[in-house]
Amino acid sequence: MLFLRRTLPLSLALIFGLLGIATYYIPHQASQDLEKALALWLRIVSAFAFFLGLFSLLNFHWRRIRQQQAGWGYSLVTYLSFALTAFFVLYNDGQGPFEPQAEAGGYQWLYQYVQVPCGSTMFSILAFFIASAAYRTFRARTSEATILLVAAVVVMLGRVPLGALISDYLPLAAEWLMDVPNLAAKRAILLGVSLGAIATSLRIIFGIERSYLGGEEK
Amino acid sequence: MSRDRVLFVGFVLAFVLLNAILLVTGKLSANWTGLGVITAAGFSLALYSFLYQDNPLFKFAEHVYVGVAAAYTFGQVWFPTLYSELIASFAGQANGAPASAWLAAPALLGLLMMTRVSRRWGWLSRYAFAFVVGLGAGLTIPRTISAFLLSQIEPTIRPLSWSIEGFNLLIILIGVVSVLIYFFFSVEHTGVVGRVSRVGIWFLMVSFGASFGYTIMARLSLLIGRVSFLLSDWLHLID
Amino acid sequence: MKAGLLNLDRRIIFLCVFLGVAIPLLVPFALPVRITEPVRAIHAQIERVAEQGGVVLMSFDYGPGSEAEVQPMAKAVLRHCFKRKVKVVAICLWPDAPGLAQAAIELAAGEFGARYGQDYVYMGYKPGAYSVVLNMGQEFKSAFPQDTRGTPADSLEVLKGVGALSDFSFVFDLAAGNSIDQWWIPYGQEKYKFALGVGCTAVMAPDMFPFLQSGQLAGLIGGLAGAAEYEALLGIPGSATAGMQAQSITHLVIIAFILLGNLLYFLSRRRGGG
Repeated sequence: MLFLRRTLPLSLALIFGLLGIATYYIPHQASQDLEKALALWLRIVSAFAFFLGLFSLLNFHWRRIRQQQAGWGYSLVTYLSFALTAFFVLYNDGQGPFEPQAEAGGYQWLYQYVQVPCGSTMFSILAFFIASAAYRTFRARTSEATILLVAAVVVMLGRVPLGALISDYLPLAAEWLMDVPNLAAKRAILLGVSLGAIATSLRIIFGIERSYLGGEEK
Repeated sequence: MSRDRVLFVGFVLAFVLLNAILLVTGKLSANWTGLGVITAAGFSLALYSFLYQDNPLFKFAEHVYVGVAAAYTFGQVWFPTLYSELIASFAGQANGAPASAWLAAPALLGLLMMTRVSRRWGWLSRYAFAFVVGLGAGLTIPRTISAFLLSQIEPTIRPLSWSIEGFNLLIILIGVVSVLIYFFFSVEHTGVVGRVSRVGIWFLMVSFGASFGYTIMARLSLLIGRVSFLLSDWLHLID
Repeated sequence: MKAGLLNLDRRIIFLCVFLGVAIPLLVPFALPVRITEPVRAIHAQIERVAEQGGVVLMSFDYGPGSEAEVQPMAKAVLRHCFKRKVKVVAICLWPDAPGLAQAAIELAAGEFGARYGQDYVYMGYKPGAYSVVLNMGQEFKSAFPQDTRGTPADSLEVLKGVGALSDFSFVFDLAAGNSIDQWWIPYGQEKYKFALGVGCTAVMAPDMFPFLQSGQLAGLIGGLAGAAEYEALLGIPGSATAGMQAQSITHLVIIAFILLGNLLYFLSRRRGGG
């Protein structure tokens, strides 16, 4: 049983990992066809992954309703809004789920007038909290913090039209900060992260990193 | 009645009254679009009410958003992929997408992935995850080497020159090397290494300051978008 | 008093930020927009495609959380394409993007009389992230066999002559997440060497500069300010230009709060003998 639960999956990871590397370096048509097929398989399997997340969300709220935990009424709201939207998805403006997606209908209405405003508003609330946090905690206590503060102020003024009105040098300074020191630091971080990604990928392929298997018997 | 309750009731009444005025004066049309604008404005204000205090309106709007977003994403997964590429292909209904027996393999892997929710059969999902994670790791390695290592090192070590561009290239070279040395924790940061990593910290501080400035810019832009909607599409105070 | 100001109720700060946004929107004033090189580079790419003839691929990889920043630049670039009679193929690799993409395309197409199928097509969303880019790199139509209306890709006039990603004259990614540096560059541009530009949120923009300098990116439109610059280049002001006044004033408000906070902090430290 250990073979089926651990050895075989790890062997699959090794085989497909090595195939992923090999198809990049082998220009033969058979190799490119294999890469194309594997990419298609990956796309289709990724689509199923969504349902795991959906199950997790619905299960979480179902348990809250069943156990009547504090705030279970809101979980009921989640279920009702999911059910209503899913109905319109399947109704598909009268065409049903086995036709191409309609361009209008309840589904699009809910997206345009519920999802978009809610999503935009959620993220825009951060503007207020950033301003409040900056006032309370952004202190030039050390030379490093002062550099950070000066860079932030120069960029904030240089990237808006008002900065050019204050001084012609502000936009130029902001551009130089982005094009030179910022670029250097970001590039170094990118190089470091890339080396780490390669190391992690090799660990996955060779079965050293097994956390993706989940559960016991790793 | 507590102050918060008074504010809550007052807020809801003001919203209803405002919309009634907008409908009566013709600023909002009495159709699905007008109802949509009112709904969007209502949800936006309900979410913004969190800035005053956490309250039932905010929680209601938040939970509606979660439910709608989940079902919307289901639709986005169903129509373009599960229906058109799998079901329609197998049923011979697809236009332009030939049915292929090989599609049964990723479909089977996808179904195996769903067994993750079962305690007894969850181990079957390991085959699907091994495929996705293993293949992903294999695809990543050569592309990371090419796109992020080689393509980024080359412009860092270009020939210097006695010009502004040359000066900038020198600064970039110093910055990249000093930041990489800062992140190398296997060697103690003392002496020369300590001084170089200090330079690296300065570059990092400039970068974080720039990122902070841009982040503020981004969040404010989102706020501007929302306020524009409320003042323009809903209240019709601006064009 | 200093202690009181240092512990100022945050709702007062929220109110000041809101007023900093709302008042310039209600009482607009003109501010000149200065064009930067990365934005000009995107404009030059579209002009190049217009002169040489070709097809632009636009990938909508953002959602409602970034709509206010990225939608204006999507509309601006689409307007530019349709104004210069550049053919556009639109796709989505982000699940929340399709509705926004459709709205932007229909708006711009309607303004310039662009015809579906001949001037532009909309292929919709495909899940799979980088695997879709990989697929498109080998054969575009295997990733998108039909458009959102169910029309086979083979019968779409815009896609005639388009076999794979390298057949597009310019690829423009509208990004809110890691699509550009985790998908498009390593899985697309790196191997197939097509001209790639990005329009992204201001949060992501600082991370794009290494790719600009290395030539992996042909241009960059960063945030609402970048969108305003593109609108200025086009001569068609839109919501981004209108937002610049509010952006400028609110930046001043926040800088004022940061400086005030620091001033009060250092004064109170001096008073405390610190």
